[in-house]
Amino acid sequence: MTTITATPPKLDSEALTLKSTSLWQITWHRLFRRKSSIIGMIILALLVTIALTAPWIAPYSPTLSMLDVDPPQDIQKRSSPCIHLLGCPQDQPQHIMGTDGNLRDEFSRMLYGARLSLMIGLSTVSFAIIIGTVLGALAGYFGGWIDNLIMRVMDVLLAFPSLLLAIAIVTVLGPGLINALLAIGIVSIPAYARVMRASVLSVREMDFVSATRSLGGNTYEILFKCILPNALTPLIVQGTLGIATAILDAAALSFLGLGAQPPTPEWGSMLGAERNQVFTAPHLVFYPGLAIMLTVLSFNLIGDGLRDALDPRLVHVSS
Amino acid sequence: MKRNLSVLLSLVVLASILLAACGGTAATEAPAATEAPAATEASAATEAPAAAYEGLSVVSPDCEYGGEFKSIEAVDELTVKITLCVPDPAFPSKIAFTSFAIQPTEYIEATGGNGDLLEKPIGTGPYMIESWERGNQLVLTKNPNYWGENVGADTLVFRWGTESAQRLLELQSGTVDGIDNVGPDDFATVEGDSNLALYTRPALNTMYIGFNNNPQVEGFDNTTNPLANEKVRQAIAMGIDRQRIVDNFYPAGSEVASHFTPCVIPNGCVGDEWYAFDATAAKALLTEAGYPDGFETVLNYRDVVRGYLPDPNVVAQDLQAQLKENLNITVNIEVMESGAFLAAGDAGQLQGIHLLGWGADYPDQTNFVGYHFGAGASLQFGDKFEDITSALASGAQLASDSDREPFYTTANNAIRTHVPMIPVAHGGSALAFKASVEGAFASPLGNEEFSVMSNGTDTFVWMQNAEPISLYCADETDGESLRACEQVTQSLLSYETGGTAVEPALAESYEVSDDLTEWTFKLRPGVVFHDGSTLDANDVVTSLSVQWDAANPLHTGNTGAFSYWSGLFGAFLNAPPAQ
Repeated sequence: MTTITATPPKLDSEALTLKSTSLWQITWHRLFRRKSSIIGMIILALLVTIALTAPWIAPYSPTLSMLDVDPPQDIQKRSSPCIHLLGCPQDQPQHIMGTDGNLRDEFSRMLYGARLSLMIGLSTVSFAIIIGTVLGALAGYFGGWIDNLIMRVMDVLLAFPSLLLAIAIVTVLGPGLINALLAIGIVSIPAYARVMRASVLSVREMDFVSATRSLGGNTYEILFKCILPNALTPLIVQGTLGIATAILDAAALSFLGLGAQPPTPEWGSMLGAERNQVFTAPHLVFYPGLAIMLTVLSFNLIGDGLRDALDPRLVHVSS
Repeated sequence: MKRNLSVLLSLVVLASILLAACGGTAATEAPAATEAPAATEASAATEAPAAAYEGLSVVSPDCEYGGEFKSIEAVDELTVKITLCVPDPAFPSKIAFTSFAIQPTEYIEATGGNGDLLEKPIGTGPYMIESWERGNQLVLTKNPNYWGENVGADTLVFRWGTESAQRLLELQSGTVDGIDNVGPDDFATVEGDSNLALYTRPALNTMYIGFNNNPQVEGFDNTTNPLANEKVRQAIAMGIDRQRIVDNFYPAGSEVASHFTPCVIPNGCVGDEWYAFDATAAKALLTEAGYPDGFETVLNYRDVVRGYLPDPNVVAQDLQAQLKENLNITVNIEVMESGAFLAAGDAGQLQGIHLLGWGADYPDQTNFVGYHFGAGASLQFGDKFEDITSALASGAQLASDSDREPFYTTANNAIRTHVPMIPVAHGGSALAFKASVEGAFASPLGNEEFSVMSNGTDTFVWMQNAEPISLYCADETDGESLRACEQVTQSLLSYETGGTAVEPALAESYEVSDDLTEWTFKLRPGVVFHDGSTLDANDVVTSLSVQWDAANPLHTGNTGAFSYWSGLFGAFLNAPPAQ
């Protein structure tokens, strides 16, 4: 018998570098080719800018009542927007989005609300992805009773309407922003665990995994160095769309008084606090509602774009 | 797969067995409770023949137990005699209150003091309960045997909506005939609508910021409650700009409270006026009390609109901002469910600060300061103050307003010193009805009667702020429950329509001894309960004594607090020793 030489096949280094950069490059290109995802990214960029620069662009502190301003402003609660550039008399204090029920500047609160919403979206989804990925990877890789145990627990979580389950969790933990985030994080775990498990199952038996295993790679190496990177694509798509859901759920919890507690400027709680003023001061309901809608829309557009851009079956169609 | 299915099935079966077991225990308890009273009151046969009327009586061996009642006796079929330990000039006003309504003895015994009694009271009023769809509506039908006059619709429907915008929308669209508590920003809208009519309710109420002064209230983990320190409470009293709250967050017709009791009520605002707002002095006092950097506490309230608190969330947040700004006290807002909030308050379990208010039940100081700070008051404000309780006890026994004045001056000043709460506002509020409703009015006591209103059709729909908690109003304090009870059950006396004067109801007349301790009520003959039984003196004795006698097995109610009884008449008979 001839010995099998372990020399790797000679690779064209130029081709290799081209290929390794092209996956993300292609994705990026394709993302930019879609108008909808460009719109999504523009909105998101705007939101991130606002969130980062809120302390500098906000005219007032988000929790400051105009009654505490020195000298006190002659202004009513829930006053209509007053913009000097658009003809509002100069002797009236300028409030671009009016004031809320506690005579706080609505515009400042909206700006700070962007911080919270992005923070809520990113932190809950990161939490859910980390836990969900680990659970899904374990279930998919080991199979057997571990798989059964983990996935049945996930099934139970999935069997509840997610918002109801979140409400139940918050009721037990007590209302508050952190608890609401935790609750939303917990209810979104199963989605990621499922995606991860499916990916692991499909990748687990592939040749390069068997190769790593036969070369003596341990479980950790196989799981996190071979399988995980290959299962990342669907997770990114799921995660981007998940941020939108998380923001929406957090707004709903805050609307119900279970999330951010006053005086935190959270869009959902701002909406909830002024719900009785739909007819008398519609701007107080309109602006937070619009902001939530735009944020969720931006993440949904980007998520949709990413899904198409990362789908290998669509590579040739769109390019 | 098959095995999985069988496991699932057995789980379901197990769960249903467990459920059945739990239901079973509840069911077996009920009969035990109903038998008990028959045993304890065996001497007085309840079903005595008309010839030899055996009246029930409950007598306290002495007056040392701390309450006002000495005895309740059924002298004959239509005569009830109530003997008091101390003179009480306000007794007619008190006994006329909704909580002391009369229900049939047999019914109270059959329900064991709760159960059906909470859902379906049997009274003598103009309306009787048809159905109560929890969470949806309460339907009442006209009582054909009502002894008085009822010009109202055949069917009276109670609905509720916590949102003032929702209530107004329903009224505008015509699905309801009247609404309670028009939103503070909507007064002009209603007045400008020719189809609607606005009825303003006099500000016979008080909104206050309560403190639990118990040093080790639950939740403080044995650290000392800063609010137990009188100086801290005084500092907060000075450090809150109440004028700003009333100016910005209350509708027209509201005023800043100078005392706990509105000035309309005799002796309501005698004594010194409340602290003037002075942030600097407040901060200095807080430093002197040992909290130069402030502290952290909670603010509890229920997110429900009442005449005294038209916009609770906004007021709470303004208070939060003021305490932070003026005293560096960090307040965490915790909104509670209405029933749970009231129960926790009565039990002294509210931590920190709370927002609540009080609407007059009858126009007397005993209903305001007496109920809240007297010896019989609940644990809402923590420990009681001896100088307040003794002054109130003395004042309550005197008949004329001028004789009472020095005692209420003392009590008001002591309240100002000890600061169990901060009176903030007497809130103006308003009801709105369709302009076509005849006989509509706003009662200063909040007890609107629908038997005097007519909309020309056979159904009248009323929309209030919240669902009744239960309909056994002996054990309810919330106005939303009381108003529903008032359509169904009646007391010995009642308040005039749209006013506060006491007039006869189930008792045609009453006599009182010169020393104001022996009250003899002559019942109206031929009054029939909704279940067809006839009102007699024993029903009065039972209805009142189950509230009075804590050892009575029927002394159960919804929560068992019976706050109105203890608030108005002091301690319960046979009350278990305080723990």
